[in-house]
Amino acid sequence: MITIEGLAEADELHPLQTAFVDRDALQCGYCTPGQLCSAAGMLAGEADHPSFVTPDLTRPPGRLDDGEIRERMSGNLCRCGAYVNIVRAIADVAG
Amino acid sequence: MKPFAYDRPATPADAVALVAASSRARYLGGGTNLVDLMKLGVEAPDLLVDVSRLSQDAIGPTPDGGLVVGAGITNSDLAADPTIRTRYPMLARAVLSGASGQLRNQATIAGNLLQRTRCSYFQDVSKPCNRRRPGSGCPARSGHHRELAILGHSSACVATHPSDMAVAMVALDARVRLLGPRGERTIPLAELYRLPGDQPDRETRLEPAELITAVELPPLAPAANSDYRKVRDRASFAFALVSVAAALEIADGHVAASRIAFGGVAPIPWRASRAERALRGAPATEESFARAAAAELDLARPLPENAFKVTLAANLLVQTLLDLSRT
Repeated sequence: MITIEGLAEADELHPLQTAFVDRDALQCGYCTPGQLCSAAGMLAGEADHPSFVTPDLTRPPGRLDDGEIRERMSGNLCRCGAYVNIVRAIADVAG
Repeated sequence: MKPFAYDRPATPADAVALVAASSRARYLGGGTNLVDLMKLGVEAPDLLVDVSRLSQDAIGPTPDGGLVVGAGITNSDLAADPTIRTRYPMLARAVLSGASGQLRNQATIAGNLLQRTRCSYFQDVSKPCNRRRPGSGCPARSGHHRELAILGHSSACVATHPSDMAVAMVALDARVRLLGPRGERTIPLAELYRLPGDQPDRETRLEPAELITAVELPPLAPAANSDYRKVRDRASFAFALVSVAAALEIADGHVAASRIAFGGVAPIPWRASRAERALRGAPATEESFARAAAAELDLARPLPENAFKVTLAANLLVQTLLDLSRT
């Protein structure tokens, strides 16, 4: 199990952490550890499985577009409403 | 929260014996609903019997060509299973439409079937609720009921069943395997649920201490052409205002077989038997689909705030059948 404390390598930020900084993907920061851990889990192989918005359930999406990212991240709420930049940051890393 | 004991028996039979020996014991699966209800004071068990590690987490074939799904499998694992996605797409889509990834990773399928209504009066112990405290009254009828039932409700209760997965399973004629103090039995999932009538506190036909051990899915050919559609107040991580699970098989431009159930509209997952009968042998056209929807929703008795659900359910069914008829 990896928590937010284990995401960075020593002083080197995880690519998602760097992307969140670059894209200004937070305001108060309260939800950020959860957003980052969910995003890291999502990018670590979850695209092998379909989501509710995947058109053909027999063919997992492989690449996660914005719609897939929004659906798969919907369990993490951000009361500041930083969602737009959170999606941008994750999309940067998802490629 | 009231103190409680916790036990983790090694076998299903041991679990049943523990619950049977206690008047206020509850089975614990993923805990995503029960633990919330304990925090709210709606549930106050004195013993939790953890059945989440009984190795009931396999999906396998049945002799008749169907599938048997262990009660302890998580919602995520059920939806990710390649056989489920290929042969029963409406079931995979229904599961994926429910809750969030975190919850689906934790929640078991038996717990999903037995989750409780999210009616706000049921969840608020400072309010009357016939389902929670028999005879105390139902404030929803004259109060807030926009999300509540249009079908199958009674003067005592207008709550909705919250599950998406159960809607698809009822449409698929799923059966549940039960283990109780008097042995095993298997019943249709549709018979597990009770309409509220004048006893809304009796939500299921489970005998005391009975445990769901598995769900059987019959080998249903039309299910390969099926889908689950869900309308809600936000695009994700929300309960259904109206949902529909539908399977459609067409031969020579006519409906050879259909399976239809609605969610979010009734105290139980609502099998649309009238709609299915109306479709049998009918031309696979928008007019037939609209007639089938009307046949079912003729039964609806909406309340002032939720009359919109009648139109929504009809339109959702027609559109879903149209899309299935074009694949």
